[in-house]
Amino acid sequence: MNSIEKNNLSGVKEGQIRCIFFCEFHHTAGPIISCQFPEHFISKELFDSISVYIITKAELQKSTITVTLQDYKFLGFPVRIDNKNYARNAFHFNLCFVCDSDARTVQYESVVTKLSEYLMSMEIESSFLSIGQSKEKLSPLLEKVMEDLNTKGECALLQGPIATHLKVCQIRSDPNPVLDHQVPIFIKELPPNQWDLTTQQVTPYINGFNHIARIASLSDVDNNLVKACVQNLVYYKVVALVPLFQYSNIYCTTPKLRTLAQDIDLQRRCLQYVARCNRQIPNLRDVFRTYAAMTRGTTIKDICNRFNMANMRINERKLVQFGVLEGLIRRVHKYPIALGDNTDLQKTFTGNFNIDEICCAAGITTQQLEEKLEKDPNIILLHK
Amino acid sequence: MEVSPLCVILVKSDSKGDRLLFRYPFVHYESPETLSKTKRNPYALPTAEDLLQTSVVPISTISKRGLTGFSDEVLSSLFAVKNDLCNRKFELKVNDVRFVSHPTQLQLRNKQTEKDDTGIMLINIVFSLSALASHSVVKCYHDLSKRIGIILRHEEKRCGYISEQTQTMMAAHDDSCTNNNGAAFEVILQKCTLAANIKKLYEDLCSTGLVNIRLNSWIPLSFCLPQKAHQWHLKGKLVEPEDIDRCLLALRPYHSLLLLHPVQHLINFTSLDSSPSLVQMLSQYSPMKNLQKLAKDSDLSLKHVFELTAHLVYWAKATVIFPVCSKNNYTIASDAPISLRSGLIDMYSTFFPGGNLIRALSEFSLPTSLGQITNPLCNPSPEPDLIKSIIWMLQHHLLVQLHTYVQYMPTDNGISSTKCSRQYVKTPPRTSSVLSTSFPEPSRTESESGTSTVSEAQDFPKHFALESITFASTDDDKHNYQEELLHDFPTEESTQIFKIPATNNPEDLKLFARLCRKGYFQGNHHLEEIMYLENLPRSQLLQLLDKFRDVLVTYETEDPAIAMFSSSSYL
Repeated sequence: MNSIEKNNLSGVKEGQIRCIFFCEFHHTAGPIISCQFPEHFISKELFDSISVYIITKAELQKSTITVTLQDYKFLGFPVRIDNKNYARNAFHFNLCFVCDSDARTVQYESVVTKLSEYLMSMEIESSFLSIGQSKEKLSPLLEKVMEDLNTKGECALLQGPIATHLKVCQIRSDPNPVLDHQVPIFIKELPPNQWDLTTQQVTPYINGFNHIARIASLSDVDNNLVKACVQNLVYYKVVALVPLFQYSNIYCTTPKLRTLAQDIDLQRRCLQYVARCNRQIPNLRDVFRTYAAMTRGTTIKDICNRFNMANMRINERKLVQFGVLEGLIRRVHKYPIALGDNTDLQKTFTGNFNIDEICCAAGITTQQLEEKLEKDPNIILLHK
Repeated sequence: MEVSPLCVILVKSDSKGDRLLFRYPFVHYESPETLSKTKRNPYALPTAEDLLQTSVVPISTISKRGLTGFSDEVLSSLFAVKNDLCNRKFELKVNDVRFVSHPTQLQLRNKQTEKDDTGIMLINIVFSLSALASHSVVKCYHDLSKRIGIILRHEEKRCGYISEQTQTMMAAHDDSCTNNNGAAFEVILQKCTLAANIKKLYEDLCSTGLVNIRLNSWIPLSFCLPQKAHQWHLKGKLVEPEDIDRCLLALRPYHSLLLLHPVQHLINFTSLDSSPSLVQMLSQYSPMKNLQKLAKDSDLSLKHVFELTAHLVYWAKATVIFPVCSKNNYTIASDAPISLRSGLIDMYSTFFPGGNLIRALSEFSLPTSLGQITNPLCNPSPEPDLIKSIIWMLQHHLLVQLHTYVQYMPTDNGISSTKCSRQYVKTPPRTSSVLSTSFPEPSRTESESGTSTVSEAQDFPKHFALESITFASTDDDKHNYQEELLHDFPTEESTQIFKIPATNNPEDLKLFARLCRKGYFQGNHHLEEIMYLENLPRSQLLQLLDKFRDVLVTYETEDPAIAMFSSSSYL
């Protein structure tokens, strides 16, 4: 994933790097900043007040340490190299990134670590840092790292004997496990990366209508591998999961529906998406009315009967897909619960599994199951 | 996400140096890694490969939900902050642990030697959290640390509490054998009230998120960690203070308060010096009353009732609902934790003997109002048991109320895109001059003829003409008032509206125009709110919606403001 997403879920902004500095433990002067870019960004007083967290005690060596002050955040990775050649038998240094104090900085931690390790190996190989004039050599390097990371999100350091590649990776929360009856759908184009073989085999069958179990059988890939692959794609926000489309499904509107009446851009995307064919775009009032008609107790079939979808130039499958993806509507699931003493039924109909899951696991159609459930007065269907 | 603290640490720093005085929990889990690290041969030569090899597994300093891997000396050196960082927020993240505190400087009240009065001490109460803790959790802990700091500074000034406590703690450390801190902490816990307070603080934060302690048996400290406190009624959902703020901003006089505990429990919970108005309000409490009525009944100002409600909601003692009445439409909440194994079913049947939660809930599979369940023929007023049952289900977030929202859609493309320039180009109002042109004066010739022989044949067309004129004039009038009423609507919208037959009725059109102009039909107001704000009866509003259904689309959904506890994912 090359693109950096500036907005994450929690709404906290992604931080740009404001400054990179290199500091070391001078054998007479103590902790000092020997090089920083941009110059004079961190004052000496400010540095002195936090130097204890930057040139640290032995126990905190090689830990990622972040100090947050009122204005800035400092990310560092203190390193010590033991060697008799140094003035105090050891060389302490720390390469720190400075960001705004209210920004998210977890994504830089691995970069700081990697860059520190790169400098460490340079130092061990060629005394790059300790030999003096480090400022002249380091300053362009820091500048390049900061500019590249801030603009491109990655940086390659190829000069000198050792090369390294730095990349800012977004830390996202793990996606939920993928279930058999869910339907994956592309929400943006698959980036032309070298995907693994499974993904290459699975992606042609992701069309927004096939559910996981079906994709597994169509692509001849093990079910669990398909799930892992789709989960990976969900993580990269290439794919979203929607419920299986059936005409017996029930959907209901969410408070977000009102954005459809106000957001011009959303309207444009919606009308294009739900159109039967590209040349004949449906009108917004019809689309809105159809969404508004989705209430608990109204199946898609009922809606198709009530409105003439072909006349309105609306593709109802696409309509539902768009609504679910944008959160304008959501699926109302049916959860069968077995009351009474039948322990066999109670194992399946606990209220934790909805009809889709049960049907998918048992390999029967929704209609068959619902007919069976209707006959038994001890089974109650809860819609939620 | 875990929001409980891993450890609470007390560090002091003064002219005699810094020291970790106390930490809780102090049971030491010695992990094998740290042992092997410390027992490294000091004469071993470091090899370059060794240095460059990074540990594959990142070093973790959390084990068994406790803090490990830091010696007391390291912690004390970290938290004895420089002067520049005092009296402000301090946040430090080391690997996967985040430390939050508010280092507080205080003037020691020197009892023994009056001459040396310049003793300044830094006291730092540090909470160590998991690094995943969000900004808002960090903020709450910082607030807590700050408040403790303020109390300690005050107590030091009043009676030298800190000097006394720190001396006892130091003595305990000095007495115990050098390396066995556990024993020293044990002694401190027995001797020092401050240590006991920290223990209580930690336990409260881990269990309920509600802290109620008395420092130095004198100053009460009440604190609520909302992210934790709301866990008991909303399992697995993290309620952020911002969510609560948003809910409280949306509070309206027609909402009502729903206590999650019996009233008696709340009265016991409130401390002795709590606001008497809270007790006064609770005595008048009923989930059927809206806040306005509650304010009136308990003789408090509405603003104050809002404040009390906000307080109860923040402390996870209550939520806000729309008052229970027979017109309310309820349905099952999308995330209602219903299964045969959840304890709710048993809880329900103890509350309502003979009742079955699943059967009671299944009534609401389709949106149902109280009035619909009760049979209007044999029992016009809803049964009290049913109301109780609904209230119970609302308290457990099993039900949500659906409201009807209205969206104004005058044209096929929704609201005119030129909404910002909503300036109706005023055509000059049609004057009644039309009358004179369409109804010509009786020709002079006719009158001049003077003959009174007005034939019937002549009369007929005249009569017709008159009729058509009256028609024309009413039509004209209609257009006049229509245009006056809709003068600020774009032309394309008003032409659509005029197609509706109900526009012939000036009352209807007037009401429609008024509501539309006030922006009630933008999906931001539900029917009940419009009724409240405009003082309209439900039937009149429903009639209006029906008459103007060509341009008004209605849909049912939750009120996002107060349903935030059950459907925060939509926001």
